[in-house]
Amino acid sequence: MALETRGGNLYYYRSIRNGEAVRKVYVGAGEIARISHESDRLRRTGQEAERERQQAELERLEALAAPVLELSEAAEGLAQAHLVAAGYRRYQGKWKRVRST
Amino acid sequence: MSGALERYKLPAEVRERLKELRELSKKAEAGEKGARAQLRRAVAKCSPGVIAEASDIAQQAQAMLTKTIAAGEPLMEEALETRLAFMREEIAGENASPLEILLTERVVAGWLLVEVLEGLIAAQYYKGTPKSSRLPPSYIIQQSRILESATRRYLAAIRELARVRKLQAGAPPVQVNTQVNILRR
Repeated sequence: MALETRGGNLYYYRSIRNGEAVRKVYVGAGEIARISHESDRLRRTGQEAERERQQAELERLEALAAPVLELSEAAEGLAQAHLVAAGYRRYQGKWKRVRST
Repeated sequence: MSGALERYKLPAEVRERLKELRELSKKAEAGEKGARAQLRRAVAKCSPGVIAEASDIAQQAQAMLTKTIAAGEPLMEEALETRLAFMREEIAGENASPLEILLTERVVAGWLLVEVLEGLIAAQYYKGTPKSSRLPPSYIIQQSRILESATRRYLAAIRELARVRKLQAGAPPVQVNTQVNILRR
């Protein structure tokens, strides 16, 4: 988005992306340029705030899940160590007792 | 956010011990000579510390989740804590080993997390939720993925506890001297 001044007049252009290419589209001059620029700026700020809110919500959920994940990993590692120490081993996804140690 | 999460992480030395146990387990399962005896000694030595630290994380996680679900209502918080205490007692049963108590804590924390996540997703569909608080479908999809993974982990926790109970009943116990109070609060 660009607000340009040429010869004492204001001109406003929007940048529109189409794949790799970016096209500059004329929006208006004078007061229209100023209003369009301001409206685009407000819309962008709103979108950014919304993105930030969603990101914060996701981080909150991940923060709720993180300690349970930590606990799960510790408990699982310890349980497996206990079973192997007690003479078991996994065989084709099932735990079997080892005959001799 | 990541700084706040640090308190819910196991200390580095405990992680190191767990890593050591995992490596020894792998060697013992692969049939390496002397590895099982070495693992037995390591389990006896490391278990109390790991169980104590992990139980601590479990308590903190449950407290955080309870606070989230109660949303500042002391009565609700109290009711949830009582419910969790009953669950712990019921799942752990009598004469539970320290490992079984830890696995019980994992089941309880997993259940609570699933409840919280389901509640948060349900709130998005509730008619009374103001439009400004609603989130787009893309976010709900991500939220559902977190719920799906939490549910998987919860079910795995139940399976693991059942497996440990079943297998340990028929195996000579590894002596572990730890006391974990399941009715701590």
